[in-house]
Amino acid sequence: MKQKIVNNMDILLEELHKITGRKAKWEEFLVSFMESYDSDAYEKKMRDSLANLVEEFKLSDIARGLDRIGEKIEGFPAGEVLRQVLQVADHALEEKNMVIKELKEVLAELATPTIRIWKDVVVAPLIGTLDSERAQSMAERLLEFVADTRAKVVIVDVTGVPLIDTIVGGFLIEMFNAVKLLGCEVVITGIKPSIAHTLVKLGVDFNMVTVKRDLESGLRYAISITEKEGKGAV
Amino acid sequence: MKDRVVTTIKLYNYLIVPVQIELDDSTVEAMQRQILSEIEEKAIEGVIIDVSLIDILDSYISYSLSETAIMAKMMGCDTVICGMQPHVALTLAQMGVNMRGIIFAQDLEDALSKLVKAREHS
Amino acid sequence: MRDIKMEDYDMLVKINDERDIVVARQMVKDFAKRMGFSLADITKISTAVSELARNIFRYAGSGFIYIRENTGEEKEIEIAAVDKGPGIENVEAAVEAGFTTSKGSLGLGLSGVRRLMDSFFIESEVNRGTVVIVTKRRRTF
Repeated sequence: MKQKIVNNMDILLEELHKITGRKAKWEEFLVSFMESYDSDAYEKKMRDSLANLVEEFKLSDIARGLDRIGEKIEGFPAGEVLRQVLQVADHALEEKNMVIKELKEVLAELATPTIRIWKDVVVAPLIGTLDSERAQSMAERLLEFVADTRAKVVIVDVTGVPLIDTIVGGFLIEMFNAVKLLGCEVVITGIKPSIAHTLVKLGVDFNMVTVKRDLESGLRYAISITEKEGKGAV
Repeated sequence: MKDRVVTTIKLYNYLIVPVQIELDDSTVEAMQRQILSEIEEKAIEGVIIDVSLIDILDSYISYSLSETAIMAKMMGCDTVICGMQPHVALTLAQMGVNMRGIIFAQDLEDALSKLVKAREHS
Repeated sequence: MRDIKMEDYDMLVKINDERDIVVARQMVKDFAKRMGFSLADITKISTAVSELARNIFRYAGSGFIYIRENTGEEKEIEIAAVDKGPGIENVEAAVEAGFTTSKGSLGLGLSGVRRLMDSFFIESEVNRGTVVIVTKRRRTF
């Protein structure tokens, strides 16, 4: 069978080229198949070259390619190899999902940095678009942070948010209300004209929180009220 | 005093109520009665309810607390809730619960300073 | 009316007494914890169950809370609250009616339950009872 593959290599690769548009990976695969077939290292060697195929081509094309080889080469274990392909593909998919999950976690953390910028003052700059999942984990993170640091004021800066619709507006209101239940004040800064316009048109108002034009004036206000509170203490 | 369901501590003119039991509906009602009668008996000017040990506050319990605060206000007394856990706050906010008449504080210290401030204004 | 079968669920809490409201929320709390929900979501789920159990006790006197884990592409918790009480005449109003936390008002806390959970289903027939089914997905981050 090995000899047969060698003799028909060019024809085979031509056929495989028709299916997948490329032949280099197929050649590698056929060579390593011949080298390792019947040897102890077969399973392992095949895994590596099949991983290359899976990375390069669609699974359906690989299946068609293997069928074609099976038609041309008598005794070629097309079914067996396909089973291995599926195993390899499963494994690759799992790895990809893991990476996506990790990236999502990283993104969620990056997108909601919280900084203790002054005694009793925390700044949370929001960046990027918010969907309901992200908004929820952001709210959880911010509230934990506020409770841990015992901040008296949270400044939420929305300069980096391109769009606030009714849903996101609703989430922000919920988050602000939750922060206030902890005994902490909320100051929102950086609302752009276009966002102010949309918010009012949508009927979302932030009347339960203090609004300041930018981070600087928000911070100045936050410091002034925390210092005043400090003097008023028992 | 009969119907005492929670321990209370009187400090100056303030009444500190650390809630250390799981609140069911009748307990929360009994607690309301207890707080109101202690306000009258001990000439209390401010009530601090510490909920840091509570891990579920549903709409009825939070409504009762809010009701207690409004009743206390009618007797000339301010109410502060302190120490709410972040996940409880998130849940109440998401349900859309509106706890009127209550001042919120982080801890006992913050609660006392907010009460003092509220008394100054009134 | 939707038929809820006990064998389809992992856990069952009978609501018969005011104390059972506390029992129900503690049991669902443990269940959600075992499923790996975040602390915030565990609190939301058990608060929702507290509302559902109270509705059963207040308006029907007795009933059941069923709990199960749905496995599919995403794990979710499903809770069914079933009673054979007087039923709700105007279901929409009971769910929509803002936040009427006054004692004796119908549909107490139902709007809150809907906000806390991902899906919300209610079916009610006067004099036959009420079924509420809610689910919440486990978020991956």
